[in-house]
Amino acid sequence: MTQAHDYVKTNFEQFKGQLFDLLRIPSISTSAEHAGDVQQAAKWLVADLERIGMHIVEIIPTGRHPIVYAEWTSAGADAKTILIYGHYDVQPALRSDGWLSEPFEPVERDGFIYARGSSDDKGQVFAHIKAVEALLANGGKAPVNIKFLIEGEEEIGSTHLAEFVASHTEKLAVDVCIISDSGMPTPDQPSIVYALRGLTTLEVEVFGPATDLHSGTFGGSVHNPVQALAEIIAQLHNPDGSVAVPGFYDDVIPLSDEERTELRKTGMTDEVWRQTTGAPKPWGEPGYVTHERTGARPTLEINGMAGGYFEPGFKTVLPAKAWAKISCRLVANQDPEVIGGLVRDYIMNISPATVRTEVLVVRGAPAAFVDIRTPEMKAAISAYEQGWGRKPVFMREGGSIPVVGDFQKELGAPVILMGFGLNDDGAHSPNEHFMVEMFRKGINTAIYFYEAIGAGELHYDNRS
Amino acid sequence: MAMNKQALEYVDSHADKFKNQLKELLSIPSVSTLVEHQADCERAAEWLAADMRRIGFDTVEVIHTKWHPVVFAEWMGAGADAPTVLVYCHYDVQPAEMSDGWHTPPFEPTERDGKVFARGAIDSKSNVMAQLKAAEAVIKTGTAPVNIKLMFEGDEESASENMTTFVAQYADRLKCDVAIICDGSMADREQPDIAYGLRGVVTMELEVHGPKQDLHSGHFGGTVHNPIQALAEIISQLHNADGSVNVAGFYDDVLPLDDEERAELAKPLPWIQTEWADVAAAPGVWGEPNYNLHERIGARPTLEINGIRGGFAGDGFKTVLPGMALAKISCRLVPNQTSQVIYERLRDAIAAITPRTVTAELRLIEIGEPALIDRHSPAVEAARSAYTQVWGKEPHFVREGGSIPVVVDLQKALDAQLVLMSFGYKGCAAHGPNEHVYLDMWYKGMAITIQFYEELSKGMKQA
Repeated sequence: MTQAHDYVKTNFEQFKGQLFDLLRIPSISTSAEHAGDVQQAAKWLVADLERIGMHIVEIIPTGRHPIVYAEWTSAGADAKTILIYGHYDVQPALRSDGWLSEPFEPVERDGFIYARGSSDDKGQVFAHIKAVEALLANGGKAPVNIKFLIEGEEEIGSTHLAEFVASHTEKLAVDVCIISDSGMPTPDQPSIVYALRGLTTLEVEVFGPATDLHSGTFGGSVHNPVQALAEIIAQLHNPDGSVAVPGFYDDVIPLSDEERTELRKTGMTDEVWRQTTGAPKPWGEPGYVTHERTGARPTLEINGMAGGYFEPGFKTVLPAKAWAKISCRLVANQDPEVIGGLVRDYIMNISPATVRTEVLVVRGAPAAFVDIRTPEMKAAISAYEQGWGRKPVFMREGGSIPVVGDFQKELGAPVILMGFGLNDDGAHSPNEHFMVEMFRKGINTAIYFYEAIGAGELHYDNRS
Repeated sequence: MAMNKQALEYVDSHADKFKNQLKELLSIPSVSTLVEHQADCERAAEWLAADMRRIGFDTVEVIHTKWHPVVFAEWMGAGADAPTVLVYCHYDVQPAEMSDGWHTPPFEPTERDGKVFARGAIDSKSNVMAQLKAAEAVIKTGTAPVNIKLMFEGDEESASENMTTFVAQYADRLKCDVAIICDGSMADREQPDIAYGLRGVVTMELEVHGPKQDLHSGHFGGTVHNPIQALAEIISQLHNADGSVNVAGFYDDVLPLDDEERAELAKPLPWIQTEWADVAAAPGVWGEPNYNLHERIGARPTLEINGIRGGFAGDGFKTVLPGMALAKISCRLVPNQTSQVIYERLRDAIAAITPRTVTAELRLIEIGEPALIDRHSPAVEAARSAYTQVWGKEPHFVREGGSIPVVVDLQKALDAQLVLMSFGYKGCAAHGPNEHVYLDMWYKGMAITIQFYEELSKGMKQA
């Protein structure tokens, strides 16, 4: 136990209070009316980063929500440099979605902090800020140079981040990038994510009559756009649960027997699936187990659909249009633009002539892989062993973090996905929470990681 | 033929005043489907009652029901030997928001090119005011050949839930020889028509549940049957590829059309086709095979998705796997079909196709039965004659696609001949944005009503 860990022990309650302050800011990046809150969260972080002793702290405007950037480089030119990435924006949340307490009024219950963003990602990125604070406190020094890159647009697809990274490669020159924005299956078993799915999002609009019509006056003579859109959506999957878009699976690299064996060890059990989802029965692509379905296979999901009158009460309208938001999770070797194009072409192809359909491919990010044999990965394994007292397992993650690919490509640095959350934290859902113990262990593990990187004694593993 | 010149002149000399009164009524947002407009519905009822008192009705009452009030008025000055006419209209309207695509605020009536734009302009405050002002004209000029009872309801747009009870309870006071149901609109701007068939309507909500709450689509996508997808899969199976409804037994109780009626229904077809192209203006015609457009919208039952919602509907993107999805579904019914039976058949059909990976529930919301009126009765004959005189051409007889639930209630409760009247043009965006009414057609409506009273008293005397 070093001085830094002592500092964490002494100041942990204060850290938690600070996290609560950050969680109170509804920095929802997806809705325009919260732009001011997003700005406020950025300013709050700037103040905290200045207070803990970062040398350079900047708020960098983008086309929409700003990036918070900070640097501490007193470890010297010979020392390694770490880039810590996280995001301070959050998904939308309304009490009426099913929250038991206000989503932006954090509360602690039974060892968990409940608030939107507590796990995704404010709590996780804040663990790093507090780890750095512990090292720098009382005139202390970190064993590595540290750069923070904390964005405000992750939940809207990191719109401006790729461009920022590509145009600031010198400023962001580092030896390793660390991202804490993922979860583990259980609190006792640390895990390191080595594969992330990619993402393509689409918006489909179906237009029928020129305007909303009286369903009595015209019903039966006009192809209802909601019905037509339902007919289109119903054709996107085969009855067995696989995606029906021609060519959708063409570029997927088949799983080897060895990988399938490995995945079956770590995956979510059907029992955990049942408890977490509460859905009546499992569903999905035939021939694959749950963990393969979420991590190793691509999916097509309807994230939202609306049309006509859906408020309380009834309006017997024949709607003029209907729309749906669709996303595809992609696996290695699938190109987001190719997949977006395939889905768009298929939808246009099956769209009946009695309506007019428009498909917009919004954006995409390819799937990402992390080499698990690097010295930096060994440092992460060692940090987890010290922080958790247990060796981490390697996992594929179903979600997407588009910036991983950008860091790998633009900075040429290895990326470590060191998640401190839990898979059932309820990210994007009502009653999102972050385990207090994970916050504490996360801070300590981050310190061990910086120390292990700083010690620099680890080598690339050439064994296959 | 004899016209009631005095009453018609009264309308002419009060044309502007009547128009301003119409606008006054249109500016009250009497939306019956939304609780927050309850006070506005009350206000509209009181406004009508005040006008009735000014006109000189013997009794005027705002009768409170479980929901919105009925405005009732009686003028029995024509004497016990004269026929009594009961006039039904509704003063409530559908919801309307500027953001639906209105060019001017829906509750600030705006006059442009001989039309008045406002929610309720065609459905049905212009009908209310045409009837009320026709009554004013005959009462004020002392020329009324019939006794007049007015019954204006405030719940039509929420399926007239209270009217069944109300009509049964007040059957004695509603007693009449002829009942006019004045709602709806005509298929053409230049050719009058009289409806004799109305579709019924049954409204339902279909809720599909998957996971217990919204999930992260990255963490769980591909392992949970998405409820929006499941709902879409269910909806897509409710119609056959040819446009007919794919629910077992859906058409079983429908009375087939005979050749004579099909010939009558074919007459207004060109106007209905033109109107469809102008107003619906969808990329292509759709619907049940082997029936023409008039038959599809008037004489055949339908199943319609009125609204759907699931998942994230805001700006931007939320990659959520939603916990549930909801659709609002309604069926238009034709004579001999009943709401309860159709609801049960649809419920059973949905239960049979719902995958076991989700749960689905179909709830019955509101019902209204279809109606068919004898188009050869003396009262309908009087209406035909009145329309012919005012328009200078014979009206067509049509089957109306919409529903007026009270017709069935009145048929049951009263021993009276029924007449369906409407004065406006169907291409006036009832229930849609920029609803409007043509003023020339509205004034003709007053003349038709005045002449109808003349024809009726003449016909009754002859009988």
